[in-house]
Amino acid sequence: MNLWHNYHYAVAMVLFCVGLYTVIMRRNIIKKIIGLNIMETSVFLFLISIGYRKGGVAPIHAEGLDPSRMVNPLPQSLILTGIVVAVSVTALALSMVILLYRQFGTLDVSRLFREETEEAD
Amino acid sequence: MPEGATRSVVPLLPVLLPWISLVAILLMPKKAPRVRLWLCFAGSALTFLVVILMLPGVLDGKTYYFKLASIVEGLEISLYVDTLGYYFALVLAFMWMLATLYSISYIDHKHNRFFAFLALCCSFLIGCAFSRNMFTYFIFYEMMTFGSYPLIIHEETTMARRAGYKYLVYAIAAGTVLFFAIIANYFWGGGVLDFERWGLLSLETASRAALLTIFFTYIAGFGVKAAIMPLHGWVPDAHPAAPSPASALLSGVILKAGAFGIMRVIFNLFGVDLMKELGVHWIVAVFACITIVMASVFALTQDNLKRRLAYSSIGQVSYIILGLTMVSRDGALGGVMHLAHHALMKACLFLCAGVILVKTGKKNISEMRGIGYRLPVTMICFSVCALAMMGTPPSVGFISKWLLGSGSMQAGLPVYVVILLVSSLLNAAYFLPIIYTAFFRWEGDEEGAHHPKLDFSTENDQLMMGPVVLLALLVVVVGIWVTVPGFPYSLASRVVDFIFP
Amino acid sequence: MSGGIRHLPILMITLPMVGAALMPFISYVRRGAVPWASALFLAASSALGLALIGKIPPDGSVGYRLGGWEPPFGIELMVDFTGYFLMMVVCGISLLSLVYSRPYIMREVEGGKITAYYVLFLLLSASMMGFVVTGDIFNLFVFMEILSISSYALVAVTGNRNAVRAAFKYLLMGAPSSIMVLLGIGLLYSVTGTLNMADLAMRIGESGYREVLIAAYAVLVLAFMVKAAIFPLHLWLPDAHSIAPSPMSAMLSGLVVAVSAFAIGRITFSVFTTRPWGLVSSTLEALAAAGAAAVLFGGIMAIYQRDFKMMIAYSTVSHMGYIVLGLTALNPEGLTGAVYHVLDHGVAKACLFLCAGNFIYRKGIRRIDQLKGAWQEMPWTCFAFALAAWSVIGLPPSAGFISKWYLVYGNVKADRVPYAVVLLLGSILAAVYCFRVIYYMFFQPGEEGAWGDKVADAPSGMLAPTWILSLATLFFGVFSYLFIDSLLKAAASLL
Repeated sequence: MNLWHNYHYAVAMVLFCVGLYTVIMRRNIIKKIIGLNIMETSVFLFLISIGYRKGGVAPIHAEGLDPSRMVNPLPQSLILTGIVVAVSVTALALSMVILLYRQFGTLDVSRLFREETEEAD
Repeated sequence: MPEGATRSVVPLLPVLLPWISLVAILLMPKKAPRVRLWLCFAGSALTFLVVILMLPGVLDGKTYYFKLASIVEGLEISLYVDTLGYYFALVLAFMWMLATLYSISYIDHKHNRFFAFLALCCSFLIGCAFSRNMFTYFIFYEMMTFGSYPLIIHEETTMARRAGYKYLVYAIAAGTVLFFAIIANYFWGGGVLDFERWGLLSLETASRAALLTIFFTYIAGFGVKAAIMPLHGWVPDAHPAAPSPASALLSGVILKAGAFGIMRVIFNLFGVDLMKELGVHWIVAVFACITIVMASVFALTQDNLKRRLAYSSIGQVSYIILGLTMVSRDGALGGVMHLAHHALMKACLFLCAGVILVKTGKKNISEMRGIGYRLPVTMICFSVCALAMMGTPPSVGFISKWLLGSGSMQAGLPVYVVILLVSSLLNAAYFLPIIYTAFFRWEGDEEGAHHPKLDFSTENDQLMMGPVVLLALLVVVVGIWVTVPGFPYSLASRVVDFIFP
Repeated sequence: MSGGIRHLPILMITLPMVGAALMPFISYVRRGAVPWASALFLAASSALGLALIGKIPPDGSVGYRLGGWEPPFGIELMVDFTGYFLMMVVCGISLLSLVYSRPYIMREVEGGKITAYYVLFLLLSASMMGFVVTGDIFNLFVFMEILSISSYALVAVTGNRNAVRAAFKYLLMGAPSSIMVLLGIGLLYSVTGTLNMADLAMRIGESGYREVLIAAYAVLVLAFMVKAAIFPLHLWLPDAHSIAPSPMSAMLSGLVVAVSAFAIGRITFSVFTTRPWGLVSSTLEALAAAGAAAVLFGGIMAIYQRDFKMMIAYSTVSHMGYIVLGLTALNPEGLTGAVYHVLDHGVAKACLFLCAGNFIYRKGIRRIDQLKGAWQEMPWTCFAFALAAWSVIGLPPSAGFISKWYLVYGNVKADRVPYAVVLLLGSILAAVYCFRVIYYMFFQPGEEGAWGDKVADAPSGMLAPTWILSLATLFFGVFSYLFIDSLLKAAASLL
């Protein structure tokens, strides 16, 4: 068990950080949403690699297949659910972006917020 | 269930009866003002009646118990009538009845709000008096605290608002400190907060530091209501701002709720022995002494009559605290009795101030020249009570001072006698000028004009004069026939017999 | 528990979900029936919940296997007393807010979106109920996502530009935290190979991957801190809660954040069980410190708000700190205080927001200083506000007092006197911001003409839920003994 054998975990973590960085630091809200998706993908990668088994087969019970060679099906089903969730969040976020763009005419977070402080006064 | 107590619904009645007034107000908020006000009075009178009817049983040594709710084992909301609680309830129910009667004539706007909160406070205070444990006491105490806010700001002047604000600040802070004290007590007292023993805590269950923390947080929490200096700040503002019957109750009863809480802490939760063992009594006593002297000095400088009376109250409530912390039989007796005695005297004085305000519109002492001739009955009552405050026999004030003095000798601390004498002197110094101005000065007296004729015609309002005269009479009567059953001595001596057998 | 009764918890959750799915059809047939139909579904849920009274043992839990699959593979509901209690709280407050919505939402939301509002509302309630009783950690994530997505959408439901912006801010903080929850679950799964909470609790004790577990716990707690708006991750809350339509603010502030805070407790007590290696102690300490900061920060910010709903929202920030301080005391009293605080916070805060809604509905008032003399015009609303504020401050005999008692007691017992003092300071701050409003309402004369012509109080369809909630604060204070004993037992069994 060393990093070399677990490189997929490392990649997942790097992706996660890239995504988080994008969400936090990017000013364009569409880029923020892309960052969100990168984060999601990284977690999916992480989950799927947990269930991976070298030389494994799809977990479908059929004659002549050895159950011990099957990959773990649970993470896959989790990811399916996760993808559904991710898609709906993205859809909702994008629809909000459209509304925001129509009403503020900008996709820049700092300008959205600046206006907020102006309105408060 | 406390040992030897009778399970009975009796303690609940006085808590519920004041709500008659509230129902009356809610049912007919606009119609028939006189009927409504008299129903309010009926509520408080019935309360007093029920409390009086309990007297024979209490003098027989009976205790009553009624459970409202039990939250968990050891933490219950329940009523319990023991001698000390009954004593406080008797005093406050009587005061409340008189103040309600007086208010019918005194209050001239927003009757509904005033009488509703008057009744609520009465109910909550009786709940305080009849609490079985500190938890219940705190619940009623806090409700009473906030219920009395509308009474204080009733006039809605800028001064009243400011006083009310100050009152709230003090009350909230004090409530929080008290809350902490109770939790700490509950934790280190073995999950019980009951009043029925004479000493619940002990050094075996809690460390010395813990006990000290609990004691001083209690004293600080209740000290705000009992106006121990330096926690007295709200009192001199609240009293002049409130309508006179409210200030009478504030001084006569609500301040005492703090003192009563300290009694419960000292007698029931800590017990006199533990307090002595911890050696904390003298610290509180020192604060009480400072308060007694300083309050009188401050009172000297006040020109506003009610403000002067308020400072006087601050000093007098500390008599009670001093009596409790002397740790001697007569001291405790004097302290407990002074609770009722001072209520009688100070309520009368405030009600007199109210009469003066209504009949002449005068607030300041310097404007009161010759007022004794315009309001002779009022000013005679005022003088009787003022003399009693100085400790002149035969009066209740003399009894208190005598007992306190004798208590300090028993405790072997004659220095307290000196404090008491200084205080009496100062009392004289701030009360006598009022009497002098009222009776021996008049318009044009320096030019040799003859004093005006006595004029009884202005004091035609029986609803206001009745309570004033009755209180002044009681100040003398209770001071002469001290041992009549039902008078403070009969109850207070029973309490003290338990503590110093 | 046997027979048909054991199906009740899952029915409670699925009923509103089915309702949500049916609403578009009902709307197609008759749009006016939508509010009533959705209220009916929630009422049915509540009725089922009431039928469960006394059936759930205080010191144990009732498992329910969805579809009959065995626990490690199938999804399990784990209905313990605490979960059941919270489910009832969610049900009750949701029902009242839903009833309140009918007149209110007509004003704020265009006709076509009303159905959407009710669909989302039902989904939100159902997911919260599932959230508190689920025994499967991935299921927890799914319910949390339904909850979050419907909340984002409901904040933005008016389509007004500030609302959309607040909702987007909420989403920008909420969505990454959801992903972090998934990450935490993945970490846990990678070292234990299970998703069932009871199973997890067992295997965590045996697992050797200490660092991974610590990381998983920290990630989960951090994620739920965002959802529960615990300082310093509360930034989305004041905007979202104050701009949402008032019945929605009541739900968000009263339930959503509190339930999320409770999820921290779920993770701590049902999954990590706090025992092995002191795994969680340092995270818990950090959490408690954040909670204490939240109590003070939220309270102070609330004092400086000019906007009425903003003030209530900051008060929520402060009260989330209370719940966290109770959870982290790690003793039955503290936990009981926290759970009871979810109840009384929910009831009182919902009531405050509904009162704010009444003012907005009648007069369009949002600023506190516009409330001067409000008592003369809208007495019922003002009295309801005063009662609820009483509980927010924690004065006896309201429910807030009982929970504060246990919170402070739990902290004193855990030898954390400074935190106990912070809780008390928090209630002083609460007193300051509540009394300021009460003072304006009752004791300040209204400015001439400020209230225009005689304004009637809110319609009874809105007043009734407001008053039921405000009386409930008293009820749960005076009759707290009905619940506290069982809650203490439940808490003791959780620990």
